Amino acid sequence: MSSFGFRGWVMPLLLLVCGGLVLYPLAFLIIESLNIGDPQSFPPEELGLANYLELFEEPRVITNTLLVASIATVLAVLFGFIQAWILTRTIIPGRDRLERLMELPYYMTPLIGALAWGVLLGPKTGLINQVWQSTGWTSDFFNIYTPWGIAWVMALFEGTVAFVMISASMKSMDPSLEESSRVLGAGKLRTALKITLPLVAPGVLSATIFVFSEMLGSFAAAFVLGIPGRFFVVTTAIWEATLSFPPDYGRAAAMGLSLFGAMVLTLGCARLIMRHGSYTTITGKAFRPRAMEVGAMRFPLMTIAWGYIIVAVILPLGALLLTSMERFATVIIPQMQFTLANYETALRMGSLAPAFANSLILGVSVATLGVPTIGVLAWIIYRSRVPGRGLMEFVIMIPAAVPRLVFGLGLLWAWINIPIPIYGTLWLLGIAYFTVFLPLGLRTIAGVVLQVDPSLEECARVCGASWGYQMRTVTLPLLRPGLVAAWLLIFIASVRELGVSIFLMGPNSKVIAPAIVNSWLSSSSELSAAMALMQTAMVFVAVAILFRVARRVTGAPA
Amino acid sequence: MRRLAPRVLSVVAACLLATAARAAESCANPHQMQGFKTCADIGTAEREGGLVVYSTDPEAASESVLAEFHALFPKINTTYFRLQGGALYAKLLAERQGQAYLADITQLSDMSFAFDFQKRGGYMRYISPELAAYKPDYRSTPDGYWTWGALVVAGIAYNPNLVPADEAPRNWPDMMNPKWADAISVKVTISGLQHTTWYMLRQLYGNDFWKNLAPSKPHAFDSYVQQFDRLVNGQDKVAVTAQYSGYLLMKAKGAPVEFVYPPDGLIATPQPWGIVKEAPHPEAARLFMDWFLGAPGQTVNARFQCDYSARDDVDPPPGGAKSSTFKLLTPTDWKAFEQSHAAYVREWDKLTGMR
Repeated sequence: MSSFGFRGWVMPLLLLVCGGLVLYPLAFLIIESLNIGDPQSFPPEELGLANYLELFEEPRVITNTLLVASIATVLAVLFGFIQAWILTRTIIPGRDRLERLMELPYYMTPLIGALAWGVLLGPKTGLINQVWQSTGWTSDFFNIYTPWGIAWVMALFEGTVAFVMISASMKSMDPSLEESSRVLGAGKLRTALKITLPLVAPGVLSATIFVFSEMLGSFAAAFVLGIPGRFFVVTTAIWEATLSFPPDYGRAAAMGLSLFGAMVLTLGCARLIMRHGSYTTITGKAFRPRAMEVGAMRFPLMTIAWGYIIVAVILPLGALLLTSMERFATVIIPQMQFTLANYETALRMGSLAPAFANSLILGVSVATLGVPTIGVLAWIIYRSRVPGRGLMEFVIMIPAAVPRLVFGLGLLWAWINIPIPIYGTLWLLGIAYFTVFLPLGLRTIAGVVLQVDPSLEECARVCGASWGYQMRTVTLPLLRPGLVAAWLLIFIASVRELGVSIFLMGPNSKVIAPAIVNSWLSSSSELSAAMALMQTAMVFVAVAILFRVARRVTGAPA
Repeated sequence: MRRLAPRVLSVVAACLLATAARAAESCANPHQMQGFKTCADIGTAEREGGLVVYSTDPEAASESVLAEFHALFPKINTTYFRLQGGALYAKLLAERQGQAYLADITQLSDMSFAFDFQKRGGYMRYISPELAAYKPDYRSTPDGYWTWGALVVAGIAYNPNLVPADEAPRNWPDMMNPKWADAISVKVTISGLQHTTWYMLRQLYGNDFWKNLAPSKPHAFDSYVQQFDRLVNGQDKVAVTAQYSGYLLMKAKGAPVEFVYPPDGLIATPQPWGIVKEAPHPEAARLFMDWFLGAPGQTVNARFQCDYSARDDVDPPPGGAKSSTFKLLTPTDWKAFEQSHAAYVREWDKLTGMR
């Protein structure tokens, strides 16, 4: 009965609620994208396709977006895959510490990376460019204010997401397959390319789709590094369109929704690839995840792993620390004057502590409630035979395809028109975060769900286990790496969320990321750097405490 | 007679309501407080216990301003909410459309927003006793909807380490010199201050004035923070539409920046402040507006925000020149200014590489 109850009622209810959460604000966005009259009248007085047609007349912003997103995705997945392979499949000194450090870039708001790399590789006076020119070169080593620079920063920070998603798949892989390859005479590289890579294809594909969609909607790097170089992408154009007067919501919504095309194509390709192969690596045969001994290669591999950490974590944090301790932000060494006043100012701001607390509350609650819910959704989509599950996957992925700045507007219009008094409260932010992070959770868990052989679950059922018992004793333990990864990703994504929060937070429900951006836009770079470092430290401490608690509760390494 | 009675009753009721409304809008005998007058009932304001301000001003400085008000009225807890002008106005309108009234006071960075908000009936009318200190041009028509709570002033800034004083621009047309190519910054199209600068300098020098800047490919930024950061780092040599408040803050920190006061005038854009209709704390909002528009509030605002007051009896921001020593350029025909917006967006987007 309980099984029937769950499958008969809970599943459709879950699909209905999650579908509604996504489709309801989307309907507002679609209507607004067709608004060709007064942009501030809602519902629109005049409807038409002019906003979409305008995009075709001026496709530069769309092509810029696709260019940067493609370069950044390739780089991020490459970084993520290499790091995941080194840290999960090989034995190198300090592996555990490196794995923890790999999460750090994701703890920081993307604005940090962009600001820090502006300090390091800004044209003429970036710190690295100064060092480069001091060795006799007359030109810059690299100008970060270019499309390649934007893609580089985006890739460094999203590389961590790719790492978490891919390493979750790699951890769930039977090492005997790699060992068989080695026994049959294949080298380490050949084994990695011919065995490891195809077996973790679902994880890699999930990561690629997710990272690409994140890149399409990425704002901070393009905002900080693109505008000085007069290079505009969809998100920066949306920022300008929504902030101008009269606001051009119609054009912003049309631009945001136009990214659907790219996303539908990506998702279609992914489904096509998945249909043509079996990616099951967790079968009834017992195995223990084991890493390879790589002999003398361990030092070059360790250098590569540390190289990424240095470039993605240590250099940006160092640049930011330097900026945060300056009286005024400068990269010219003789001009630098140091002070701790920025930290004092940040700590004195009465709104900062509640913003930190709200971000933490939201991060923990959205991740804790979201992961089981999304886990069940992933199981329904990839394991059950519920009709329309493909459509459901598509619907859940929609928030990833629409820039959050635009989706935030849709959520604002949608929820403010519901006669439930949650506007301006943390409840609404929680619901909004859950909605926009559905794709992140689904993609992370999907990578592992696809690796679990259904025969294991069938075996449990044949042995008389109920659906619930089978989920608890077989499916969930096998999905544990994916669920932990999803929890971590959703927690951190919530803590650093910006696009949706800008429109949904209220005076009594402030969160930290918009406060940092506001400070950068209106106060000073040095104060923003201090606030950003405090946020990073807060997330790091929170994650460390949560993992310690998890370890105590489960008695196993998290 | 039976038909007349309801009409008489309704007229009497309307008169009573109008009288009550007028009483709320203004008063004959305001209370004299420390340095300002108020028509607000302080007991009621304190019982309301809160005040929510929506504004575009920097958060740290705004919290300091509100802290001063809170120190005077400790029973009124103040909350501040900051967003960029367009986003803030979008949020305010969406909230009103959804009947979610969270804001008591609003500061909109652009006059266009204020006119629009007034047209939509968004402001609560309140004729502060402090309005007498403001010139009629600095107040809404009719009085009591919004008032210029501050003036944001802008000119030209440069880095003296890169540009010797005798080679620095002296007046607005000097920024057209090709020597500033790829080393000059302006603000992005969405900036209200940039719109004012574009409008006023076209009025001064002709409609083709800005076309001469295009070959220099100016870099456009959302905020003065980025403009001054690039200036001190040598990535740009000159910043146009450089906010005076930003210059004062940077100068006080010892940054290598200098400011040019063009003899033809500095650009000044007003910040309209007003009470939001359906404010959740209306009496506290009236009390705050009286304090803020009074000399104490304006002095505190000038000190923390480094903006100028529209009152004549308030000192300039710390380190700032007296406003009487320079000429201010502000639109007088606001309707023409509003109508120029589409042409401005077209030209500025093109000039800054946005389109």
